[in-house]
Amino acid sequence: MAIETLVLGAGQEVGKSCVVVNINGKRIMFDCGMHMGVSDHRRYPNFSLISPTGDFDTALSCIIITHLYCINTLFLRFHYFLIIKISHSLILYSYIFFFGIICDSHLDHLGALVYFTEVCGFHGPIYMTYPTKALAPLMLEDYRKVLVERRGEEEQFNSDHIAECMKKVIAVDLRQTIQVDKDLQIRAYYAGHFTLFEYLTLILKVLGAAMFHAKVGDSEMVYTGDYNMTPDRHLGAAQIDRLRLDLLITESTYGTTIRDSKYAREREFLDAVHKCVSAGGKVLIPTFGLGRAQELCILMDDYWERMNLKVPIYFSAGLTKQANVYYKMLINWTSQKIKDSYPTNNAFDFKNVCKYERSVLDTPGPCVLFASPGMISGGLSLEVFKRWAPFENTLVALPGYCLPGTVGHVLMSKPPKIELDPNTKIDVRCQVHQLAFSPHTDSKGIMDLIKFLSPKHVILVHGEKPKMVSLKEKIHSEMGIPCYHPANNETVSVPSTVYVKAQASDAFMERCLKPNFKLHKCSSQELSIKTLTDKNIVPELQVINEKAVFIVEDKSKKLKVVHNDEVLVMLGEKKTED
Amino acid sequence: MLCCSVNFLFLCFFLQNNTPESIQPISMQTFTSMMNEILNPSTPKSTVSSIFKTLIHSLLHSPESHHSQILKLIADLSSHHPSLAQLALDSLQSMLPQLTDPPSQLTIEYLDALVNISERPVEVDDSLFTSICLAASFPVRLWMVRNSGCRVMVRPELLYPVLMGMTKEPYPCLREEALEALVRLGECAVFEEVSLVKGCYERGVQLLSDNEDCVRISAVRVLYVFQVALWGLMLASFNVDTKTYWSNEVFAMLCSVVRDMNMKVRVEVFNGLGKMEIVSKELLMQSLSKRVLVLDQSPTEQFVLLASNVAGALVHGVEDEFFEVRKSVCQSLRTLTVLSVEFAHAALNLLMDVLNDYKVEVRFQALETMHHMAINHCLELQENYMHKFLDVLEDNSSEVRFSARKIVRLMKLRNHLLFKSTMDVLLKNLDSYPQDEADIFSVLSHLGRNHKQFVDLIANEIADEVEASFEGNREFNSARMAALLVLSISAPFLNADVCPIPPVIFSFAATFLSRICCAFSDVMNRDTLLEYLIQKSSSMVQPEVNISNGEGQNPLAKDDVQNVAGNEMIHSEITINNGEGQLPLSKYNVQNVALEMKPPNDVGQHKRPVHDSVVLTYINYILVKLPNIWPKVQSCSANEVLCSLRHWKEELTSLTFDSSAPADASAFALLYLKIIKLVVEVWDHLVRKTEVVSGTVELEDKLEKLDGRAKELMNRFIGFSAEEEISVLELILLTYTLRLCRSEICSRNFIFKRMTIIYLRTESFLKLRSDVASGFVAELGSLIRESSNGGASCSSLAFDNCLKLFSPKRLMIREGIRHRRAELSIPNNCPDYPLPFAPGLTASIPCDITIHNISSNCRAWVRMCINDGFTQHVYLDLQSFEVSGEVRKISYAVPYYRTPELDSFNLKVCIGLESLFENVTPVQAHGGPKCELVLLCEEKIVYLSRVL
Repeated sequence: MAIETLVLGAGQEVGKSCVVVNINGKRIMFDCGMHMGVSDHRRYPNFSLISPTGDFDTALSCIIITHLYCINTLFLRFHYFLIIKISHSLILYSYIFFFGIICDSHLDHLGALVYFTEVCGFHGPIYMTYPTKALAPLMLEDYRKVLVERRGEEEQFNSDHIAECMKKVIAVDLRQTIQVDKDLQIRAYYAGHFTLFEYLTLILKVLGAAMFHAKVGDSEMVYTGDYNMTPDRHLGAAQIDRLRLDLLITESTYGTTIRDSKYAREREFLDAVHKCVSAGGKVLIPTFGLGRAQELCILMDDYWERMNLKVPIYFSAGLTKQANVYYKMLINWTSQKIKDSYPTNNAFDFKNVCKYERSVLDTPGPCVLFASPGMISGGLSLEVFKRWAPFENTLVALPGYCLPGTVGHVLMSKPPKIELDPNTKIDVRCQVHQLAFSPHTDSKGIMDLIKFLSPKHVILVHGEKPKMVSLKEKIHSEMGIPCYHPANNETVSVPSTVYVKAQASDAFMERCLKPNFKLHKCSSQELSIKTLTDKNIVPELQVINEKAVFIVEDKSKKLKVVHNDEVLVMLGEKKTED
Repeated sequence: MLCCSVNFLFLCFFLQNNTPESIQPISMQTFTSMMNEILNPSTPKSTVSSIFKTLIHSLLHSPESHHSQILKLIADLSSHHPSLAQLALDSLQSMLPQLTDPPSQLTIEYLDALVNISERPVEVDDSLFTSICLAASFPVRLWMVRNSGCRVMVRPELLYPVLMGMTKEPYPCLREEALEALVRLGECAVFEEVSLVKGCYERGVQLLSDNEDCVRISAVRVLYVFQVALWGLMLASFNVDTKTYWSNEVFAMLCSVVRDMNMKVRVEVFNGLGKMEIVSKELLMQSLSKRVLVLDQSPTEQFVLLASNVAGALVHGVEDEFFEVRKSVCQSLRTLTVLSVEFAHAALNLLMDVLNDYKVEVRFQALETMHHMAINHCLELQENYMHKFLDVLEDNSSEVRFSARKIVRLMKLRNHLLFKSTMDVLLKNLDSYPQDEADIFSVLSHLGRNHKQFVDLIANEIADEVEASFEGNREFNSARMAALLVLSISAPFLNADVCPIPPVIFSFAATFLSRICCAFSDVMNRDTLLEYLIQKSSSMVQPEVNISNGEGQNPLAKDDVQNVAGNEMIHSEITINNGEGQLPLSKYNVQNVALEMKPPNDVGQHKRPVHDSVVLTYINYILVKLPNIWPKVQSCSANEVLCSLRHWKEELTSLTFDSSAPADASAFALLYLKIIKLVVEVWDHLVRKTEVVSGTVELEDKLEKLDGRAKELMNRFIGFSAEEEISVLELILLTYTLRLCRSEICSRNFIFKRMTIIYLRTESFLKLRSDVASGFVAELGSLIRESSNGGASCSSLAFDNCLKLFSPKRLMIREGIRHRRAELSIPNNCPDYPLPFAPGLTASIPCDITIHNISSNCRAWVRMCINDGFTQHVYLDLQSFEVSGEVRKISYAVPYYRTPELDSFNLKVCIGLESLFENVTPVQAHGGPKCELVLLCEEKIVYLSRVL
């Protein structure tokens, strides 16, 4: 028997995750992502490889979606209108750029789901975690609109299709074991990774990535999706039990990177902010609504609390009540810190964060302001930047990467002046501080997970080919585990564990209930010899491991397990027969 | 009430009728009324004993289903009526053998009752133990494993193999309990064979990858407990390299499981890392970096193998989601930072990150670790860290603030700016946390005492501000004023020089007396502080008066002197003025003693002559501190104690003297301190059997050194008073006992013999003075009397118990002590001007010898050694020396007979005295000294060169 893994997407590439695994005759599809970089049929996984006839219901047992990973496209439109006021050429550029990057990599786990279920016609069950299920329809609908209304492409599926698809979705909780059918059993484990989601003013950071464990008969496997082994302030590290796995399919996005502790970076950030406000300066932190801002907010709120700082922190986007409701609902998906503090005070009810009002901009004295959008690409953050940048005691802290073409990107090179358009030039005298971050696991995290799970085989997906090759070598040499990195549409077959049924004799069963060792008493002669050599401690009783078990085939060709005492009896019988 | 009496009547009826012949099963109701009677304290004894009898009878005759209730009643009865406990134990024990074949739940219930009744662990014979451990029933086995080694005593020789077998059980909780029982076994250190310990350790390693969390936790524990056991065993038989190799292996093994998915496993791993005793520096550094390090020199084979396991282990711990793990990492850093200075510096970076943790517990632990590092002299706060560290002083948790201030007390700031910013933060602290005032004042007083030079720089500034405030020219902030005053007055405190602090400051300070006196409570009380302030401010009137001339009243009065010496963090030098004897010197009153603040590198450079009696007083007040620090040694604060000892030693060495008497006393005190220091260093190892003070100490070396020093103390000093003599003898007994705790059987008899001699001497002294022997000596005496065949029959445990009774005597030395020493000089000899010799002929070595305090009936020798190990002794006839008082002088050409066939050679010459105390074994019979020699001076090298 074997486990066959057919990689339909994310084989030696990033994006379009889709892996079909056949374990002992049961076929499971893990993730059903799409590639946004291409607009033809290559956008979707080649579903015909699953069933040439298109009879997916018999070919597949179920679909499992590990998580969604998406920055909603609507917020791009939001930026679009803001940027347009500044420069016409800039928006077009960033629109296309944003669209390409973000959708490309962030619909890669369920983008093709509706197409597959409604258009191709799969009627079997779909499993995903609660948070994913809660947000998937919003995201899919939004994506459809962008595709059709903005790009003017042919409609692949409509809103009804999304609703229909969602009806087939069964939500699972962490560590809940689900018996899909007689043989197939699945269970979700916390993966620590999160997804980012913004929907106009309802701005949420959504958590809910899971690793899925699937078991058919005696064969077991885990598909990780994206995961994170290092906890941050509001999301914990991945957690899984030690399992006897035949196969582990893991992502390998950062297969060659080792990330340093981010504590040092946080410390620098806090020091910079503290120094600035204690000198009476103002701090501007341009962020995408929440997302990263939320983590920084937790960090700063803690710091303010600890240091008894009275300088106000303003939040322009504001944590809406709705966002809080979502968090309370999804508290199990957050880190230990947030769980700890939840009963006393909601970690997202920041004590030191006040609501932003326009008057704040001109109020003298130190303050910290979180303003959207990030990268200072327009809106409030740009407005505030224009006002505060000419002052030397202002600090602009950029949390994360800034795309080329944005003010944030220009600012990183610390120019003396920034030209927004021919009529607007800003003197830049402020200090700039950058803080980098990424939610994927690094190569050490991957190695640690593999070491902990010690599977018999590893398949790498969702990564660039050179990184996969180097990681594969490392896994093979350090742990001696066979490792594969199939390309798209390739199949890898690994042997699976099969237990053979055998009858056990009564004597054997009886022995099994007792400890499987026997004490052998040394004879007095042996003892006296030993006493001569060392009179300290020599065990007079020695443990003899009594594991000897014999498997015999009886006349009806059935296997039977007997205890070794019985073997002698049976052999004796045979001899007399002869 | 009615119900009770009905019950009682019923019970009486039952007891009367229930004779052994006509036994009836006990009903539920009877049980309840028996229980009532047992619990009721006024039940007559006769009733209780008849209940007891009935219960025992019914055990024999009632159905097995009732037994558990009956046993429960018997256990309760025994705990309420202890007089019956022994009887109950005997009866139950006699019934036990009938129940063991095969062992069942009932057997366990009997055993459980036995264990509950007995106050001591119950001994179980081998056959019962094995039959229970091999029983088919799982709960029966579990009970036995869980209780073995704690409530049930089994021979370790039997227990070990059974437990090892149990670790392979299919039931996870049995595996877990078996490992826990092994840990208990390991902690008792019953193993004396490396292979057993190794076997256990290897099983622990195997089970680190067990599927069950609970088993993995216990496996980690086994690993580090046995690492300690293994290390202890190897100490005797292997060299340092082997030990380091093994410790590195264990370290890497523990590091490899730091990413376990179970939080408790991770916590346990870091607890284990905190118990490491030796780890190579490279591996320690690797644990701070997630990337595999590229070393400067070619890495060892072991490092290459282990590096990837160790990589970033501590960083992962600090990044952990659970505060329990982060806290445990900080704790483990306490011991790890002691192992390598370089690592300590690198780990500080990690600790600075932890100071941003959101959990108070973690921040607090990080600071405690830093404090521990500071005590061990491995905390170096660079300027870039100082900023962050000062932030912590403003933390809103009071524990964190107190802990941070504890570190400030020990700080030695490098420059004026840092000092200023620290001071500012503390003053700001005062505004934000007025409740901390007392602590802040105390920190400021330490800061001032430690940084006199910086306080001097801002003295005028402070004076201006204070004066302006007092005169009403500024807003009066009393807390700030008090703080500034504390800082100013603490700088010249204990300092004899004229300081730039204007005397008016001291007058101002006096007005705040009640508020600021707590800041100095470690060195003086309120009254003495007032005296000090008055004295300092009085110089306002006569500014040219130098207080150090002894005219003013010194603030240090009787009680406070001891405290001054206890303030170990002050690197101070004793400067004692001549004072011309105007002031009466009482025993403790060191009126002329003043401790002057100096940067540490200055210590020992400026030696000044001091008055004899003052020195003696000073030495005494150091010595009287010793008994006070002893509880700290016993409660494992050895580091702190060592710090104090080191400091006192420094002070003693910095003294110079006019005459020989104080020099002799000081030499005695110094040696006494050295011995105590060595004792403290080995104490943890031998008595507490726990962490070592420093990672790479060689215990054997230390014991060897201790032995030598003890001999020196015994032989090189004379003129003890009886009290001194007893203290010295007791100390020597202690060193022997320490040795006996450790020694192999062969050397034990020898040491024991020597100890017996010293003991007899002590005993006779005590009898002479009709004194009572201390607990330690008495216990040792009984041990010596018990053991007829030398020390071999006594277990090291017995000596351990003696040691626990030891505490140093309150010792006060008088002037009578004389130091036996010699001065040897060989005129006109150096490598360039060697003495001539002809091979085969006797060479003459001209020596100028001066010996002190040695009477003519002593046997002194000149010892000459050549590099090949040959030693020649020449007897010194003390009669022929020139005598002037206690000093004898001679210029003497010492003959050296065995001149080699070489062009040139070196000879090590020194003077030795035969030690008459312990002539247990004659050392050399052929013409040389009859007893062991005690060297009286340093060895001198004589250069000889062949003539033609």
